[in-house]
Amino acid sequence: MHIERQALQKKAQLFGILEQLCERVEPSQTQEDRAKTSYEAVGQWLASASSPLLSGSSIYLQGSTALGTTVRPIGSNEHDVDLVHHLLGLGRWIEPARAKALVGDRLKESDRYRAILEEKPRCWRLNYAGEFHLDITPSIPNELCARGGELVPDRLLRCWKATNPKGYRDAFKRRAELVPQMRLLKSFAADSARADIEPFPKRPRFKGLLCRIVQIAKRHRDVYFLKRDAALAPISVIVTTLAAWSYERAVASNVFDSELDVLRIVIAGMPDFIQRPIVGGRPTWAIWNETTAGENFAERWNAEPARARAFFEWHAVVMADLDELGRSAGLDELTGLLGKSFGQRPAAQVMQDLFDGMAAARRSGCLSLAPGLGLTTTPVSRATRVPPNTFYGSL
Amino acid sequence: MRIDRPRPLTIAQQFIGLRSNPACEGVGRLGGNVLTWRHQVSPTVFSRAYYARIEYRQDRSPQVYIDGPDLTALANGRRLPHVYNQFPSRLCLFLPGSGQWGPWRRLDQTVVPWTALWLLYFEEWLVSDNWAGGGLHPPEHVGSGRRLRKRRRPNSATRPGSR
Repeated sequence: MHIERQALQKKAQLFGILEQLCERVEPSQTQEDRAKTSYEAVGQWLASASSPLLSGSSIYLQGSTALGTTVRPIGSNEHDVDLVHHLLGLGRWIEPARAKALVGDRLKESDRYRAILEEKPRCWRLNYAGEFHLDITPSIPNELCARGGELVPDRLLRCWKATNPKGYRDAFKRRAELVPQMRLLKSFAADSARADIEPFPKRPRFKGLLCRIVQIAKRHRDVYFLKRDAALAPISVIVTTLAAWSYERAVASNVFDSELDVLRIVIAGMPDFIQRPIVGGRPTWAIWNETTAGENFAERWNAEPARARAFFEWHAVVMADLDELGRSAGLDELTGLLGKSFGQRPAAQVMQDLFDGMAAARRSGCLSLAPGLGLTTTPVSRATRVPPNTFYGSL
Repeated sequence: MRIDRPRPLTIAQQFIGLRSNPACEGVGRLGGNVLTWRHQVSPTVFSRAYYARIEYRQDRSPQVYIDGPDLTALANGRRLPHVYNQFPSRLCLFLPGSGQWGPWRRLDQTVVPWTALWLLYFEEWLVSDNWAGGGLHPPEHVGSGRRLRKRRRPNSATRPGSR
C-alpha cells in the first residue's frame, strides 16, 4: 500500500511537472488577450468594407488558438493565431485567388495593417513583432456540406477545398469535456487516500486534460524534429485529431490510476486511428476530417511516404521517452530526461520552480518531511517539520 | 518562563522517537551506549531511495551516513559538498555549538528531516554544480579563514595590552 501510494504520488506530481512545462511554452494570458483585441479589431475593419463582396463577412479563430492547444515555436516568442475570414456572400463562382485578393486589398486600405502585412501562399499574415502573427485565410460557404462546412483555397490557390473549422472545434471541445474515471476517486474515497495525494504545489491554470495531452505531444514533436528534417514533422492537426480520438476511446473504456496513465494510453493509441484505404489496388493513408466530407489530414503522406515514416518514428520515441520519465530516479535524472524530451530551457525553469518553492518553505519554516512523499510545502498529516539548520563542513 | 536547558534525552528515548516516526520508518539497534538507526529516505517523490544510517552515542554529536547508493559515484569525480567524509559519505547537517542540535532534541525531528534536505540539495547540485542549501565551512579553509581574521582584527586592536 505504501509503495503503491508512493508510485501514485510520483505519477500525480510528474503530470503536474508536465503541465507546468506546458505553461512555460504556451502563450501567456496577456499575450492571448492582446491577440484577441487585435483580431477583433481586424474583424471589424474587414466587416466594415464598402465592397458588397465583403459585406456580412466575419472573422473567427481556428486551429490551436481556438482549441487551447497552442505551443510557441521553439526559440521564438511569437505564436501563430489562425483566423478564418468567412465571406458569406461569396460562392464557388469566385476564384480562390480573387477572394484572397479582396481580403488583402481591404487590409491594405489601412495604414496600420499595410505596414505589418505579409502575403503567404494561402493567407494574409499580420505581424505583431515579438508577440504573435495573425494568419487570415478567406473562406466561403460550402453549400454541399450539411454540417456547416466551408471552403478554403488550396495551397496553390487553384481550387476550393472542403474544411470545417467551426465543426472541428466543436467536436474537439466535446471530447475535451469528457472526464476520465480515476480509480482512487472511486474505490478509496472512503479512506481519503486520494485526499493526501499532493498535486504539484503550483498548479498551472486549468486547461483540461486533452488540451494538455495535445500540448505535451506537440512540444515533444517540436523538440524531436529540431535536429531532424522539420518539414517531415506531423502537422498539428494530425497530432490533435489522433489524440482527441484516442482520448475519447480511452475515457470510454478505462479506469485510470493517474493523469499520467491517461497521457500514456492516449498517446499510445494514436496510430490506431490512422486509416489505410486501398485506392487503385494500393494502401494509402487517411485521417479524415469527420466534420466535413473530403478533407484528408494525411493527404500529403500519400505523395511523400517519408512523412508517414517520420510520424511513426516520432511516435515510438515519444512513447519511449514517457516510459523513461516514469522510471526516472533522482531529480538530476528527471531534469535531464525532461530537457531531452521537451527542451532544456523549460525543463530547467520548471525544476528551478520546484527548488525555489522548497527553499522558500524552508525559510518560512513550513517545509516538512512526510512519509512516502518526502519534503513537502503543503501541510500533510503525520509529517515532521524541518527545523532551521546550517549545513557545515568542507565544500 | 523556563530558561534552564532541557534535560538530555536518553538514547533509549531517542530510539523510541525514531521508531514511532513514520518519516523515518526503519530498523535500529540499541546496544550499550550506542544507537544505530537505518532508514530509507527520498527527499522528493522524484528522488532516489537513499539508505541512511544514524550513529549516536549519548552526549556526542549524531553522525549520519549514506550507505547507498554511493554518492561519490553519483558525483562522478566531483568532491561532495558539506560532508565530513567523502566515502562512506558522512553528512554535515548542522553547525556544531549553535544549539541547532542538542542532546535534548529528538533525532527523528532534527537530523532525519535535515538528511532529506541535504539529499534534496545534493540532487540539485548534481544538475547545477551549485550547492543551493547554504551553510558554513570550517575556518581552516582559505575563504572562510580570511573572513574570520578580518572579523578579529578590530577586536585585537581594542584589547588592552594586545601589542
